[in-house]
Amino acid sequence: MMYNIDLVIVGGGPAGLMAANTAAEAGAKVLLLERDGHLGGQLVKQTHKFFGSEKQHASMRGIDISTMLGERLDAFDGRVTVWTNATAIGFYEDGVITVDHDGVYKKVKPERVVVATGASEKFLSFPNNDLPGIYGAGAVQTMMNVYGIRPGHRVLMIGAGNIGLIVSYQLMQAGVSVAAIVEGLPHIGGYAVHACKVRRAGVPILTSHTILRADGTESVESATIARIDRSWNVIPGTKKTIDCDVICISVGLTPLAELLWQAGCEMRYIPSLGGSVPLRNDCLETTVKGVYVAGDVTGIEEASAAMVEGHLAGLEAAASLGFKSDNYDAERKDCMDQLAALRSGPTAEKIRSGLACAESR
Amino acid sequence: MLINTGVPTREQLDRLLPSPERRARGPYAMVECFQEIPCNPCSTACPFDAILPMKDINEIPAIDLDRCTGCGICAGVCPGLAIFIIDESKKDGTATVTIPYEFRPLPEKGETVNAVNREGDVIGDATVTRVLASKRTKTPLITVEVPAELVHDVRFISLIDEQSFSDDTSSESQKSPVSHETAPKTDDEDEIIICRCEGLTLRVIRDLIREGYTTVDEIKRISRAGMGPCQARTCGPLIAAEIARMTGQQVAEIQPSAHRAPVKPLPIEFFLGGDSE
Ligand SMILES: Cc1cc2nc3c(=O)[nH]c(=O)nc-3n(C[C@H](O)[C@H](O)[C@H](O)COP(=O)(O)OP(=O)(O)OC[C@H]3O[C@@H](n4cnc5c(N)ncnc54)[C@H](O)[C@@H]3O)c2cc1C
Ligand code: SF4
Ligand code: SF4
Repeated sequence: MMYNIDLVIVGGGPAGLMAANTAAEAGAKVLLLERDGHLGGQLVKQTHKFFGSEKQHASMRGIDISTMLGERLDAFDGRVTVWTNATAIGFYEDGVITVDHDGVYKKVKPERVVVATGASEKFLSFPNNDLPGIYGAGAVQTMMNVYGIRPGHRVLMIGAGNIGLIVSYQLMQAGVSVAAIVEGLPHIGGYAVHACKVRRAGVPILTSHTILRADGTESVESATIARIDRSWNVIPGTKKTIDCDVICISVGLTPLAELLWQAGCEMRYIPSLGGSVPLRNDCLETTVKGVYVAGDVTGIEEASAAMVEGHLAGLEAAASLGFKSDNYDAERKDCMDQLAALRSGPTAEKIRSGLACAESR
Repeated sequence: MLINTGVPTREQLDRLLPSPERRARGPYAMVECFQEIPCNPCSTACPFDAILPMKDINEIPAIDLDRCTGCGICAGVCPGLAIFIIDESKKDGTATVTIPYEFRPLPEKGETVNAVNREGDVIGDATVTRVLASKRTKTPLITVEVPAELVHDVRFISLIDEQSFSDDTSSESQKSPVSHETAPKTDDEDEIIICRCEGLTLRVIRDLIREGYTTVDEIKRISRAGMGPCQARTCGPLIAAEIARMTGQQVAEIQPSAHRAPVKPLPIEFFLGGDSE
């Protein structure tokens, strides 16, 4: 059978959860699809306190924000349906979304869609990069913080962005030692306060370094790193072998935009946003009418921005169906102001320049 | 520099230091947050308005030390764990520093622990004088007593039986950022796996590009790269970057592979089933 509904939201991370809350609040009937068995997206794994301001729940831990947003949905009983273990597997030209819901094939035909599928991790090529013990940082976080499994004893982290720094910190909290954080750029990409936190806990941060290879018979036993110049050429005489049983790769995320490609949305490759992103207008509507986007799928940012974008997309999708709340104008302006504030600092310079290229028309 | 090493410079720290009179008077907060980031809980949490309100959320926090009582509330909420409470008012050659410490086990009051500096090196002993484990922030605040001359260096503790694993970290600063996508060249093509699902090495991919297959889709059709469980999420960007490198193009110019449903491999019986509620 075909399920007909006002609004389908694909992805139950911070962006999708906020979109569901806002659209349901305005009066729309919402179906939220989440491929995992639980809601929250990346937030479920974030045991550290968040940045931002009170409006984006700064200083709360990601996991607590996720629980709070999930619980809010209960207030709209009847208007919000949540399917977990539900992967949207196809998005067709006629607007039908196909779903694998707990192994059952379902078809949904919504009036509007918010795609909030988040991102996937980038990988690196180096010799023996298929040895057991080499993980993406997201996988390590899932193992530790969702399933309580330590990935190993001694980790070499590749990448000193916020994720590399935070996952290193969380590894130490789990009692795993971190041999070093290796970063190809001459500077640390993540926030300085995160870097200070891992430095004083004894982890060296080796900027202008890269991994040359992994070695081991059955699984990772060591990694070779070296200093590089600005063109990524290895500086002779700087090779160093680091004993480790885990190599954790944290070299960035890329938007998980397959459904948008399938729907025929116009996409543009914007390196500073992490890869190919959908062009959209200031209502977060893509070039395909009725298809809205929010969160990391629009470009890699933070949960704080993802929540505000989710709010905006939910508001606009509902409004376009005639569910316009009394304070629509005020809410819209508030979202715009929050996004502008979050993106106004020097650390967001790349994001600002990327976003300027992602506007449709 | 801080952004090369993760350690603030002496000058940055010296600028935070209060006047000698203020230091002698009683506890105060050292807000070691030197970068404009979108964050403001310290300023909204201070009950005495000592951390000045921020007009723009990216502002670097500014503190009015005459209003600061050293209560430590800001140190508990700061997501960067960047605030420390210093008390140099005792005249007995010791001073205390309060450190946000999110590790288990927690030390106990009276316990001797290693005093660790911003580089992660053990620089002496410290005695724990207070352990404040707030249920609300879940960031325990540990106050330790150290020799007064070390109080501006001690920023972490480790329990005595744990080893510290610091290493050489010097790193000269270099300009012109290069993205990770320009991975270094290597001669070890046979050992580098590009498509994990189908077990394809860099050599296979490079040979195909040399033969003239220069879109991700062409390579996918001839080699099955990207047709496994991950559906090109891992190898797609690596192949695009390799094509760009070998053909002298920008990654943006490389045609990405077509994205077709389903987004993950499923057995055919799945589609035959369907729900008939
Ligand atoms: C280690 C780490 C630390 C971070 N720290 C911070 C921080 O301190 N502050 C901050 O603001 N941000 C932080 N972030 C970033 C933040 O987590 C992300 O920006 C945010 O989660 C993005 O939200 P999202 O809703 O767009 O995507 P996600 O959280 O990734 O959620 C997307 C959801 O969509 C689901 N999904 C994907 N495809 C499908 C499909 N086809 N069908 C159904 N469901 C699907 C996924 O399972 C997932 O649950 C951190 C991220 C990491 C990895
Ligand atoms: S220590 Fe207390 S008074 Fe001082 S800045 Fe922090 S919260 Fe305010
Ligand atoms: S709360 Fe901490 S990290 Fe955030 S601005 Fe204040 S001092 Fe900096």
